[in-house]
Amino acid sequence: MLKSKTFLKKTRTGGVLKIVREHYLRDDIGCGAPGCAECGGAHGGPALEPQPQDQASSLWPRPHYLLPDTNVLLHQIDVLEDPAIRNVIVLQTVLQEVRNRSAPVYKRIRDVTNNQEKHFYTFTNEHHRETYVEQEQGENANDRNDRAIRVAAKWYNEHLKKMSAENQLQVVFITNDRKNKEKAVEEGIPAFTCEEYIKSLTANPELIDRLACLSEEGNEIESGKIIFSEHLALSKLQQGIKSGVYLQGTFRASRENYLEATVWIHGDTEDNKEIIVQGLKHLNRAVHEDVVAVELLPKSQWVAPSSVVLQDEGQNEDDVEREEEREHMLKTAINEKMLKPTGRVVGIIKRNWRPYCGMLSKSDIKESRRHLFTPADKRIPRIRIETRQASALEGRRIIVAIDGWPRNSRYPNGHFVKNLGDVGEKETETEVLLLEHDVPHQPFSQAVLSFLPKMPWSITENDMKNREDLRHLCVCSVDPPGCTDIDDALHCRELKNGNLEVGVHIADVSHFIRPGNALDQESARRGTTVYLCEKRIDMVPELLSSNLCSLRCDVDRLAFSCIWEMSHNAEILKTRFTKSVINSKASLTYAEAQMRIDSATMNDDITTSLRGLNKLAKILKKGRIEKGALTLSSPEVRFHMDSETHDPIDLQTKELRETNSMVEEFMLLANISVAKKIHEEFSEHALLRKHPAPPPSNYEILVKAAKSKNLEIKTDTAKSLADSLDRAESPAFPYLNTLLRILATRCMMQAVYFCSGMDNDFHHYGLASPIYTHFTSPIRRYADIIVHRLLAVAIGADCTYPELTDKHKLADICKNLNFRHKMAQYAQRASVAFHTQLFFKSKGIVSEEAYILFVRKNAIVVLIPKYGLEGTVFFEEKDKPKPQLIYDDETPSLKVEGMEFHVFDKVKVKIMLDSSNLQHQKIRMALVEPQIPGISVPDEISNVDVNEPEEKRRKLKK
Amino acid sequence: MAGLELLSDQGYRVDGRRAGELRKIQARMGVFAQADGSAYIEQGNTKALAVVYGPHEIRGSRSRALPDRALVNCQYSSATFSTGERKRRPHGDRKSCEMGLQLRQTFEAAILTQLHPRSQIDIYVQVLQADGGTYAACVNAATLAVLDAGIPMRDFVCACSAGFVDGTALADLSHVEEAAGGPQLALALLPASGQIALLEMDARLHEDHLEWVLEAAAQAARDVHTLLDRVVRQHVHEASIMLGD
Amino acid sequence: MASVSLSEAEKVYIMHGVQEDLRVDGRGCEDYRCVEVETDVVSNTSGSARVRLGHTDILVGVKAEMGTPRLERPDEGYLEFFVDCSANATPEFEGRGGDDLGMEIASTLCRIFNNRSSVDLKSLCISPREHCWVLYVDVLLLECGGNLFDAISIAVKAALFNTRIPKVRVLEDEEGSEDIELSDDPYDCMQLSVENVPCIVTLCKIGCRHVVDATLQEEACSLASLLVSVTSKGVVTCMRKVGKGSLDPESIFEMMETGKRVGKVLHTSLQDVLRKEESLGPERPKVGFLG
Repeated sequence: MLKSKTFLKKTRTGGVLKIVREHYLRDDIGCGAPGCAECGGAHGGPALEPQPQDQASSLWPRPHYLLPDTNVLLHQIDVLEDPAIRNVIVLQTVLQEVRNRSAPVYKRIRDVTNNQEKHFYTFTNEHHRETYVEQEQGENANDRNDRAIRVAAKWYNEHLKKMSAENQLQVVFITNDRKNKEKAVEEGIPAFTCEEYIKSLTANPELIDRLACLSEEGNEIESGKIIFSEHLALSKLQQGIKSGVYLQGTFRASRENYLEATVWIHGDTEDNKEIIVQGLKHLNRAVHEDVVAVELLPKSQWVAPSSVVLQDEGQNEDDVEREEEREHMLKTAINEKMLKPTGRVVGIIKRNWRPYCGMLSKSDIKESRRHLFTPADKRIPRIRIETRQASALEGRRIIVAIDGWPRNSRYPNGHFVKNLGDVGEKETETEVLLLEHDVPHQPFSQAVLSFLPKMPWSITENDMKNREDLRHLCVCSVDPPGCTDIDDALHCRELKNGNLEVGVHIADVSHFIRPGNALDQESARRGTTVYLCEKRIDMVPELLSSNLCSLRCDVDRLAFSCIWEMSHNAEILKTRFTKSVINSKASLTYAEAQMRIDSATMNDDITTSLRGLNKLAKILKKGRIEKGALTLSSPEVRFHMDSETHDPIDLQTKELRETNSMVEEFMLLANISVAKKIHEEFSEHALLRKHPAPPPSNYEILVKAAKSKNLEIKTDTAKSLADSLDRAESPAFPYLNTLLRILATRCMMQAVYFCSGMDNDFHHYGLASPIYTHFTSPIRRYADIIVHRLLAVAIGADCTYPELTDKHKLADICKNLNFRHKMAQYAQRASVAFHTQLFFKSKGIVSEEAYILFVRKNAIVVLIPKYGLEGTVFFEEKDKPKPQLIYDDETPSLKVEGMEFHVFDKVKVKIMLDSSNLQHQKIRMALVEPQIPGISVPDEISNVDVNEPEEKRRKLKK
Repeated sequence: MAGLELLSDQGYRVDGRRAGELRKIQARMGVFAQADGSAYIEQGNTKALAVVYGPHEIRGSRSRALPDRALVNCQYSSATFSTGERKRRPHGDRKSCEMGLQLRQTFEAAILTQLHPRSQIDIYVQVLQADGGTYAACVNAATLAVLDAGIPMRDFVCACSAGFVDGTALADLSHVEEAAGGPQLALALLPASGQIALLEMDARLHEDHLEWVLEAAAQAARDVHTLLDRVVRQHVHEASIMLGD
Repeated sequence: MASVSLSEAEKVYIMHGVQEDLRVDGRGCEDYRCVEVETDVVSNTSGSARVRLGHTDILVGVKAEMGTPRLERPDEGYLEFFVDCSANATPEFEGRGGDDLGMEIASTLCRIFNNRSSVDLKSLCISPREHCWVLYVDVLLLECGGNLFDAISIAVKAALFNTRIPKVRVLEDEEGSEDIELSDDPYDCMQLSVENVPCIVTLCKIGCRHVVDATLQEEACSLASLLVSVTSKGVVTCMRKVGKGSLDPESIFEMMETGKRVGKVLHTSLQDVLRKEESLGPERPKVGFLG
């Protein structure tokens, strides 16, 4: 075991502490080239190819490996990720620098390195006896690292020569640093800039587009005048923040106005929570989500948030004067009271750039290779990219990454990453919304699939250990029609002692997904199954979700059962949990189940069981509501899809039957019982779900709205809220109650997962339960899998594993799950919105009744119950005289040309599709009734081109 | 900034060692002339001195004498400049007292105390530089010092620490690795019999992992034994040459 | 106090030897034992040195830390001394046993070294009234073989010579708030001038003569001794009588003269050794306690 290594000491002075670390140099680190006699294959994992032939570079036609430096890795990762680039040596020096500078790039590099096909090899040069270099006197850390990289490149070339002289295998050093390149060439290392090299790859011309354009080299992009002031150095910023001169915050660009943004100040400062930044120069190249430092302007320069909608339409960027003119426009109509703290961005603390989806706006100049890219997200500025395939990319959704934003450039520079497909195509749009919401949707990898059970699968003797055979029970499942991932089934039977036995049986997914393997990691990453209108992005592979775990009827399935003994008054007398085997007798839809319950003639086992369940559920629900659980509602719609084209042909609001609430009731009960059990057993490591009570101010809008209809809503407790919502009925206006409940939903906080050891508030406000978790849908939620594992350990049915009782790991899981759930929700909404558009596109213009949900200063937000569709009716429009608008914040109400609008007023609106902006097609609503001259539009279905509502309206006015 | 990566994808630790490798160990016996036994050890940048006085008659109150065996008296002390941040007191603080107690337990298990009833053996260890694994270095130095003093022992006592990072057990933790806050285990082993003289574990560690960490520490302790054995043989060899001349 | 007990006959033997300028180990009255000096032995200190003088074994570590200047001297840094009499030296020092001796030595050291004439304290100031370097000089007594003060003073001087203080810049912004920036180049540091740092020469009165560098046995025969701190130029900066006996004024002058003479020689050879060692550079193989 004795090491024959020389060791050197590295002294690092951090703070005033002198820290001495040992640094061992080794001679057993392999070069990564297979067949190297000297290293004798002393390396595991991915390696280089012995004969890298595929990269036909006109600059270096002989076989070679690539050795990029830190900046190439940081900036050109998009190119390096391309399958055409293989056989790359990543030095430890480079990897460490990347790690310190950009966590996302580091992660991507690691992913690439782990991909066997890419043949990336990480060479631990810092610990190699012959490639370690010590920092010399007068040399800074960067120079040392550059030298270390060159030394390693040189070593490789000599080493490879020894290996086999005739095949002339060499390492090509890729750097964008001119000095470093010169030095390397001097030392006899073949070196090129990234651009040179990529351009020399004649077989892959498309790679050039992916190159990040960096201002260091490409100063010729424009030598125009400097537009922006310089960003201050990080150390200056930190100093300023410490002393309070600057404020640190997250930059949030405005959706409506590209010249305005707010900065959310970090920390708990009472005042100046939100700072407005207005004007191109003050925005100073900050991009949405960046962490920035801002300087407050003197009060005399404070502005009010403008209500103007401004879109960046300039094609030619040199038009800075016009920009100033527009900025001036913002400053008109200032109301003293409205002034808010205003500041300017002085520096960027951390960029949070990511690849953006959007479309190319082709340059007007025909031969130009430089084009502007307009991101789908309006908060992101347009990005200048260089591409030769502009005409091919026109009208497509593409992905572009930002590389930098020089001071003399109106727009940031970026490069093309990926082509998603034609705009408006359903696949493309789905892809876009998945990407924009960061939903992992790639097909499951082979590594993940390898952990699936082998088919044909059957229950073995071993599976029956710690498992109860419940196949004799009359279990059935009740789900929406067409459901293939059935994760719950129920039963109810009378016991000999007269009590009722009720069982909730949940698919035993944790039996198939074992902790820590690739399948588990992938499911944990996905966190949830995402349901889009016509697509389901599974959390677990289909074999599990729709077959082995799905509790279909007439097959033996593994389940995790929660069984209660209850009195006929639904009092729980006993609770037990067990892993089990069940055989469902029927897979019913809600409608079928309802029919059985209601039918007078059916008296079979299943029906009796259902009736028993239904009876208990009603009692349970009543009890729950008495405790203050809220019944809220949201307009839910389903699309009827054309079976051929998969286009939506009709919308339908979800119908709620007794059976829906019956299933829900038992799921809630199971979740609560399990939550109690796991918290009892693992007081520190239970994964629970809480729903914080909303702050009273959230309810203001609801209370005011109810008041306008002479109703009182009490919000001091969940119970009083529930009660007052129940009482809020108006015989003349039956839909009012639903509307109030919709509003109440908007007042709520988000429910979140958390680890019991990291929090002490467990309360679930909406369900009025002191403790809650998710247990009943392990096929589509990862949280349930963890809960299953916890419960299994608690009852001794499965063994524990280390991560399960690590509260920090658990907290990390919760964080990811909460993020994924939120994103899944957004993606779902975006999908509904897209399909709504498709629907109205085919349907043409329709007029419908609607109710006002909110009143804004210049618009009303309405809900159309028939479609569950919400939309905004604007009263101000471009190129039209402004109507007289009087807004009353107290009531709230809006008077438009003498016609007053209140919340919950019934109106009639016209719905049409606005395709004037190809990238942002949207539903547009216009008022039909009550009629206001000059504002409302007549109620008639016309066949005028729906794409040009503007012109149409003008015509009608004449 | 990103924290330190304690174990790289390529399997190297911060200082370039692999998971099971010890730091460089160098040791010498008979450093001082006045003491009955003394030794010095370097385990990487952790440096410790140990001296042994005794067995001699009980110092101070006679009532401390044990009728059937020798009293083992240990003091742990760490130089004020030994740590990154200067310490205010070399000994007498809680940690030093605890270390003294642990050393005493360890050596009571190893020294054949029944051979010297009613007498006292003093073991003083002094850490000159601390870079993780001070307990282990002290035990190893003290073993050599006790051997140097010619006090009969059951066996060598060899100690080593081990930790656990990302599913891998790391042997002989350096200060950086200790400071990362993962679980740590200190083990003192009597290598010939495989008996454990002292086992201490702090922070949470899952039961499934304990075996690996324990095995890593035990293997490292056995490696330490090989080295210490070599040092002792070398010392005896040198001493016999000097006597022979 | 570390000491040995001698029989009357032994004492007489030593005293008679001294009378004849012939000491038990063969030295003359003004001869030092062989001194071994090695610097930079503890790598995580700013400076360190180990000195062996006969059986006396001293390790000194210097740590430079940031502090605030003392009120009465706003433009100076300062030195702090701490002496740890380790139980390694003798079991008597166990627990708090060595504290008294340690305190005594530390206060003597403080008086001798912590002043402007010995060390350039102004160079330790970073910004007046705000920041300065504090040098914590920690002495570890590992083995005790007589003549502690001399050995310790040599070790302190060697350690100060070896001390490297990182260079810092004080950044000041418009509001006057200060921030300290540390150079990231580990070579960018400042070295103290030890030109005027004195050494202690202890003169032990044995019979009617005095000896330098007394061993433990000789110390046991002496009733009183004189501690003289001398710079390399032979300037006496401090003097102190120690021991339970008494000295007559005449012999004090005699002893002082000897101290000056011996001290100058001691400084010269120490400087030689230190310079030679430094010229070897960082690649010098370190011996420490392994040799």
